[in-house]
Amino acid sequence: MSEVTNVRMRINDLRVALAETGVEILKGVSLELQEGKIFALVGESGSGKSVTSMAAMRLLPDALEITSGAVSVGDQDLFELSESNMQTVRGRRVAMIFQNAMTALNPVQTVGQQVAETLRLHTDLRGSALRNRVVQLFNEVGIPDSEQRFDFYPHELSGGQQQRVMIAMALACEPEVLIADEPTTALDVTIQEQVLKLIRELTESRKLAVLLITHDMGVVRNTADEVAVMYRGEIIERAGVDDFFHNPKEEYSRRLIDALPDLSHFQSAAVEEPLLQLDDVKIHFPIRKGVLQRVVDHTRAVDGVSLAIGRAETYALVGESGSGKSTLGRAILNLESIAGGRVSFNGKEIQDLGRKEMLPYRKQIQVIFQNPFSSMNPRLSVGEIITEGMISLGLGLNKEERDKRIDELLTRVQLGPEFASRYPHEFSGGQLQRIAIARALAVEPELIICDEPTSALDVSIRAEVLDLLQELQRDFGVSYLFITHDLSIVPSLAHHVGVMQLGKLVEQGTAEQILTRPEHPYTQALLKSVPRIDP
Amino acid sequence: MLAYIIRRLFYAIPILIGVNLLTFTLFFVVNSPDDMAVSQLGEKYVTPEAIEKWKVKNGYDKPLFVNDEASGIDAITDTIFFNKSLRLFAFDFGRSESGRDITTDVSNRMWPSLAVALPTFAVGIGVNICVALMVVMFHGTKLDRWAVFVFVSLMSISYLFYIIGGQYLIAKTWKLVPVSGFHPDGQVWRFLILPVMVGVVAGIGSGARWYRTLFLEEANQDYVRTARAKGASEISILFNHILPNALIPILTGVVVLVPALFMGSLLIESFFGIPGLGSYMLDAIKSQDFAIVRSMVFIGSILYIVGLILTDISYTWADPRVRLS
Amino acid sequence: MKPVLLWSDALIFMLVVALILFFYKLRQDPQTRERWGEVFSSRLGMVAFTVILTYVGVALLDSMHFRKALENPEGLQTDEIFYDNKVTSALDVMLQGMGDRFERTYSAPFALISFEKKNMKDDEGNSIRDYPELEHAGTHLSDASQQLADVMAKTLVAVMWGLLFSLLAIFPQWLLLRSSPNPWYASWGVQAVVICFFTWLICISHHYHVLGTDRGGADVAYQSLKGIRTGVLLGTLSTLIMLPIAVTLGVSAGYFKGWIDDLVQYLYTTLSSIPSILLIAASVLLFQVYIDLNPDFFSIGMEKADARFIALCFILGVTSWSTLCRLIRAETLKISQLGYVQAAHAFGVSHTRILTRHILPNVVHIILITFVLDFSALVLAEAVLSYIGVGIDPSMGSWGNMINGARSELSREPAIWWTLTGAFFFMFILVLAANLFSDLVRDAFDPRTASRRSES
Repeated sequence: MSEVTNVRMRINDLRVALAETGVEILKGVSLELQEGKIFALVGESGSGKSVTSMAAMRLLPDALEITSGAVSVGDQDLFELSESNMQTVRGRRVAMIFQNAMTALNPVQTVGQQVAETLRLHTDLRGSALRNRVVQLFNEVGIPDSEQRFDFYPHELSGGQQQRVMIAMALACEPEVLIADEPTTALDVTIQEQVLKLIRELTESRKLAVLLITHDMGVVRNTADEVAVMYRGEIIERAGVDDFFHNPKEEYSRRLIDALPDLSHFQSAAVEEPLLQLDDVKIHFPIRKGVLQRVVDHTRAVDGVSLAIGRAETYALVGESGSGKSTLGRAILNLESIAGGRVSFNGKEIQDLGRKEMLPYRKQIQVIFQNPFSSMNPRLSVGEIITEGMISLGLGLNKEERDKRIDELLTRVQLGPEFASRYPHEFSGGQLQRIAIARALAVEPELIICDEPTSALDVSIRAEVLDLLQELQRDFGVSYLFITHDLSIVPSLAHHVGVMQLGKLVEQGTAEQILTRPEHPYTQALLKSVPRIDP
Repeated sequence: MLAYIIRRLFYAIPILIGVNLLTFTLFFVVNSPDDMAVSQLGEKYVTPEAIEKWKVKNGYDKPLFVNDEASGIDAITDTIFFNKSLRLFAFDFGRSESGRDITTDVSNRMWPSLAVALPTFAVGIGVNICVALMVVMFHGTKLDRWAVFVFVSLMSISYLFYIIGGQYLIAKTWKLVPVSGFHPDGQVWRFLILPVMVGVVAGIGSGARWYRTLFLEEANQDYVRTARAKGASEISILFNHILPNALIPILTGVVVLVPALFMGSLLIESFFGIPGLGSYMLDAIKSQDFAIVRSMVFIGSILYIVGLILTDISYTWADPRVRLS
Repeated sequence: MKPVLLWSDALIFMLVVALILFFYKLRQDPQTRERWGEVFSSRLGMVAFTVILTYVGVALLDSMHFRKALENPEGLQTDEIFYDNKVTSALDVMLQGMGDRFERTYSAPFALISFEKKNMKDDEGNSIRDYPELEHAGTHLSDASQQLADVMAKTLVAVMWGLLFSLLAIFPQWLLLRSSPNPWYASWGVQAVVICFFTWLICISHHYHVLGTDRGGADVAYQSLKGIRTGVLLGTLSTLIMLPIAVTLGVSAGYFKGWIDDLVQYLYTTLSSIPSILLIAASVLLFQVYIDLNPDFFSIGMEKADARFIALCFILGVTSWSTLCRLIRAETLKISQLGYVQAAHAFGVSHTRILTRHILPNVVHIILITFVLDFSALVLAEAVLSYIGVGIDPSMGSWGNMINGARSELSREPAIWWTLTGAFFFMFILVLAANLFSDLVRDAFDPRTASRRSES
């Protein structure tokens, strides 16, 4: 209570409702942001955490309205200001950064101009002084060659640098409060680490009060001072960060924390004869140039990868976006043609098989995709979706047998037979992913390629889907090639791990080996950015 | 960039050949060279010899597409299609069926067409953008909804009514400008102002509505939210952020039409008696002069292809994200 | 009476059946049903839809053709029945001879006398030059001054009848639909207005020419009504001819890629590079030449006009597929990358099955949006084409032909405005309703606008 004087922003009993129906979205949210501290607001999608920040800044879309509550910055009640006075608060006293810097920056303005615009709006800086100030800010947020970068367009910068530009823009007028809405979600883990570190440093050096909105407990653990958990428009638990992680009070908070990796228990690596074997697999995409569009070079999406997956084993293929891991998955399914190397399944080479010859193998190799919403045809019922494979791969079942099988499968993935006649849009992401699992299982495969099956899901649901996958492995002895960018789900799941970077497999071994004694520097960097409960 | 343009020009050749092939086929399906000779010579003078003579004189004495008698490459080249097409590619359009030189006609009539079409086009875009901007400022209010209704109503009126109505009100009732006509020297503007005005007004409905949608689409982008969070005012967001971004689809959407401006407008020109290419085409259609129609189809196709290339170039110019390769 | 089935009649009835089946099939899919619900939950949607249905209804009535049996000439006793050479439609019957009441030439709406002077003999046999009285207007009046009162009285009676008919038509609907959440009352309002209007028009047309007469003395209101069938048919037939071409080519280009894609892209670039009006004009001219060279193909004049009309629909359809094809190709390319098509590949599902089960159903919204959008564009295009002289055969009533004929009339003194007004009014209402409806359909079905709505 001694720090009360340092409160920079106060949100008191904020309520927001849908303008049309009056349904409450926020049910009385209160919080205070203190100087030099990061306050993390944690919750899953739809919990109302972004609405809180937008409502505080009076930037809600027309469909939502603030019904009651108060927001003050210093002594100023924001809800009493006129719109034009409010504009002098935004950007000057309270600044915001957003999730996807690529889209949050104006694509047709240079990044320098965009930062300059903030300064132009709130200060008298003009001309070269303005430019110098922007360059200085770029330096401060760690953008190299800041003088030249001033005239770059957003798309010419990497994701991490774009987010740094956003931060520079936010800090331009030395605000008292910074609201960061999922600032690192769209970034690769290694970059994410750097951006968070920057925010942490700036908070201290500039005595900022930061509201950090995130769904990622790892981010909270590594950066925040205080945590509030939001659930369905309410803050259900609030505590200091250490206290929270060691001693969560609510069941829901515990679920969120449990989703964090436990780096002390691993799946023991079973040694068995390999089911799938890749030898020096190469996948190249042609680069065409010139008047005649001749192929001048190739993009080496996958450049000589060799690995083996045993029966009833999980092989986790880890890498950041663009590392070629998904392309490799598609190549195993024969959906991408291979430039060189061998893919053997059960000792048979399958990389050059035609459509017809491949059919028997399609029964044995199945796939689950990342985005559950686009992996189901919206015009087919769940039953039709699951039967499709059974029919086209000729499992030799009649209509009744198939219906019976759908019932079994839906029960097996904990949904229930009554869902068979419903359509995909009636389901949540987690339920859809279960249906995708049922669809893959329908043809009794030996290997399932899981392409980031949980990355589109909320943390608490993620664990359920992973548990289900493991349970099915125990029951049916199915193998998984688990493609993921998220090292944190690996320990509980995988027997073997391979790390991919720029099309090459830089390191592979048992899960324990990779996660405890990484040798390659890239693996070490990846591992360092994984949040832990007890560092 | 240069390589890209060369490649695109390269691609244009098969398209133009296709266009020619289509017009030739269409024409000769119902009209054989003999029929042409008969209609040109007039019923009275038809004798087999006269027909043959006419065919030889006008180059219709060869097979249409494939010459079975010739060997090698001549099988393709020694045909009506090849010879007539080759001349089109050299911009030699030959004579119309009434005996006038089409190339001269086209180059004379191009300028009056442009004199009407260019101002209509430029003023039209300006007016549409302004109207759309005004409406977007009132987005979400009753005014916006009514404006959309008015746009749709304006769109639902046939072009012919705009022309007839404009002529009736402004030229006939109020006698402000001549009803129609065109004199190349002196007070050209007196003859241009009404057609341009009619063209602009007729385009407001669909144009402003389209631009409004583009503006609203941009207004929903993330960078607009960023600009608000910076503390920019709504007006400044509209002009500094939304407008430059929305101009990209607007620009690239209209650039394809620029070369086609040379072709003029069929309706405007015929109603207002402007001696441009539009009325030229209309006269050709009405008098069933196929030589002119064919030449105009060819010119129109070239202009369209040029428009496509210009569109791509304008993309790189307007949108820093686009690079041609 | 002997029914006559013109080619366009057959097509339009097949079309109606096909459309009903199509919408019935669409209704089975819950998402589509939801979207349609959205369209019909707005009053505007209801009003626009009712107006369109009215036009379609009139067009259908006007497509039921037959030739009247002629009464045997006096004194001739024979079992053979002779048929009138003129083809009549159900609409003509309903309008109670509105089209048969010809004058000599122009007359203004509700006028009692002709527009042009004529040499006449007065009662004393002197030759005078004056405006002659009309043959079919106000003949029951003894004095021109009674006209206003007479029109009022007849209007009142007609509207009373109209209201009675409306009540009869709407009451059963009310019984069926009163618990529906959709604003049916908006539709009923329009229905009542339409029924009253037609009752009034039919009643009053026995005594006056509501919209005057044209150069040939024909009733303008009747001609405007006859224009409905042409407009509606042209709009739907052309689109339906275009659809299969555009969908087949677009889907195969987007799905198979490679040389098929190159070919389709080449085809539509070539086609769209030709100024469409020239292409249409050239094709129509050529067809005209064909008809002229083969005059024996068509036994009655109407069949010739009908053949030309169908040819026009075909030409419009065949020349206008490139836009839709491009859209469908782009959408198919996008869908092919989606998880469910990839999953289908992983299941070894055959190409035909992927195309029909996964791709086609998911591009239907584009087809639907294009269908309603193109409809109004085609109705407008008809007027322009007829003006250029490559449109509907002049013997077949159409708004374009009316406008074309009326072009010089405005410059007369006093101006003859009513032909133009008639065409304008009927055309504008139809196009406006179609445009408004297409806006609503697009809002409901286009994923882009739909996602925008759910965000805000």
